[in-house]
Amino acid sequence: MPKTSTEKARETVKKEVRSVPIEKIIDEVIDKQLKVNPGIVEKDKYFEIPDKIVMFYKYSYGSQSRFFKTLKEDAKLSGTKCSKCNFVYFPPRANCSECYSDVEWIDISNEAVVLSSTTVWYSNSEFFDRVPFAMAYIKPVNADTAILQRIELNDKEYAEPNSKVMARFRKERRGAISDFWYELL
Amino acid sequence: MDKKEVAVVGIGQTKFRARIPEKSYFELAFDATKEALDNAGISHKEVDSAVFGIYNDLFERQIMPDTYIQDYLGLYGKSGTRVTTGGATGGYAFRAAYAEVASGLSDITLLIGVEKAQDNFDWSQYKSTPEVLKSIAYSADMTWEFPVGAYAASSYALLATAHMKKYGTTEEQAALVSIKNHSNAFKNPYAQSPLKLSVKDVMDSRMITYPFKMYDCSLYTEGASVLVLMNKDTVKKYKISDPVWVMGIGSSNDKSFTGFRSVHDALGNYGDIADLRNHYEAARIAYKMAGISNPFKELDVAELHDAFSFTELQAYEAMGFTTRGGGGRFIEEGHSLIDGDLPVSPSGGLLGAGHAVGATGVMQIGEVAKQLKGEAGERQVKIEKGRGLAHSIGGPGSSYATVTILGV
Ligand SMILES: [Zn+2]
Repeated sequence: MPKTSTEKARETVKKEVRSVPIEKIIDEVIDKQLKVNPGIVEKDKYFEIPDKIVMFYKYSYGSQSRFFKTLKEDAKLSGTKCSKCNFVYFPPRANCSECYSDVEWIDISNEAVVLSSTTVWYSNSEFFDRVPFAMAYIKPVNADTAILQRIELNDKEYAEPNSKVMARFRKERRGAISDFWYELL
Repeated sequence: MDKKEVAVVGIGQTKFRARIPEKSYFELAFDATKEALDNAGISHKEVDSAVFGIYNDLFERQIMPDTYIQDYLGLYGKSGTRVTTGGATGGYAFRAAYAEVASGLSDITLLIGVEKAQDNFDWSQYKSTPEVLKSIAYSADMTWEFPVGAYAASSYALLATAHMKKYGTTEEQAALVSIKNHSNAFKNPYAQSPLKLSVKDVMDSRMITYPFKMYDCSLYTEGASVLVLMNKDTVKKYKISDPVWVMGIGSSNDKSFTGFRSVHDALGNYGDIADLRNHYEAARIAYKMAGISNPFKELDVAELHDAFSFTELQAYEAMGFTTRGGGGRFIEEGHSLIDGDLPVSPSGGLLGAGHAVGATGVMQIGEVAKQLKGEAGERQVKIEKGRGLAHSIGGPGSSYATVTILGV
């Protein structure tokens, strides 16, 4: 007798599972914290429970991939230049947003200048343990735009606008914006 | 098009509070909707459509929260659309609701702004705020800016430090905005943060992200704010005696990559990273539609979007209340105080009344309407010209801006 669709499903569901979902691991961490501090959820006036939304990705950089590949493999910055209006994009764009013309890839200088800057002392959950850190809009000498990036302050509290900075690169790079930073000169 | 085509005829809001755990987002929306419909003297059955201003799905713990609100409000069978434009959500939702009525698609539209926030909880730090900030920080560009550590306050701090460098604006001048708006909140029974502060209190409060100290920053808030909009004929049909008319709306979005804003581009005549270029453009469009040429002389009241104290100084300039770079002096001279020549944010603004994101812009437009009708209670300002302005902004580096002019 041919198998019914339910029977086929029953055979395959078990085989499809490779390991425990990562979400379950997070639940275990939260459950442990609740045992330590059960009063953290309110059950008298209203009823609260722990909850979460977790998403995982395998993200493609699309046409900007070339920037991240060059950054990872060669420790170099790259941007794009419009073939018609000569506008230099950094971060790079595969299309000119001003005139819709084609662009070509160019090398971007490590020398740059600070346009505006802030030093962060209180941040969101993902960066809560990393303060203080400084970030700034930084314009490389041969780009028409500025990029948001971290600045190593070298014991200063703040990077003044118009300060000169130089790009520095991590030894171990993974192809992300955190592979480089700027240092005050 | 002719002015006095679309009117605000009903206003309702919940109290703005840090957290309202006894109500869910759709229940908050219900409370403010009931009050607005009562205020207009109509039932929900007479409404043709709804526009929802809700910023952040991660706050509500729900993608498409609008459809669940529409169901809860018994508005099934009618059109419903959601607007989400960061901090400018309320102002832009008002634009959409206006368009709904002005186009003739609806005679009566409900504009519902609502937001939760503080159900977000950081289980590592045992507190809400860092997780609330994370929910918002995901609005930063996820490839280039979020991983650097960008979040709402740093994004606006980078505009402020540029303004300080270009125009010599000081932290003490920004502190005056904080003092004014926290003080105005004492007279607003719906407000979250009435506080009596001195310049020293603001200057001594803990650094958040330079130059913003704690009292330069609005707090996150939960609440709802609702308006009922009607076209001219329906206003007559219902014999509404005190309509507040929409005289002008202008909206403009700048480049979301703040570092791309340059004096050489199409908004370059308004300036660069130091200037709220799209706010200038939004104001220009709104004033043109409303026939206003000297806003400082022709407006009775303004509600500005002071998510951060410095931003209000920058907005004085962009709204044309003062000269370029004159924002700091404008408050030093007392023009924007509640008894000044042009009171700004008598509600307390975001600093004083709270920032319930999707509800904020709706609340501020509602405040201008109440002021123009003379129904603002203890915080009523003098109405002589019958014109008021509400400013609603948001997004990375304030990329969204919309300006609404109301009149009676
Ligand atoms: Zn071009």
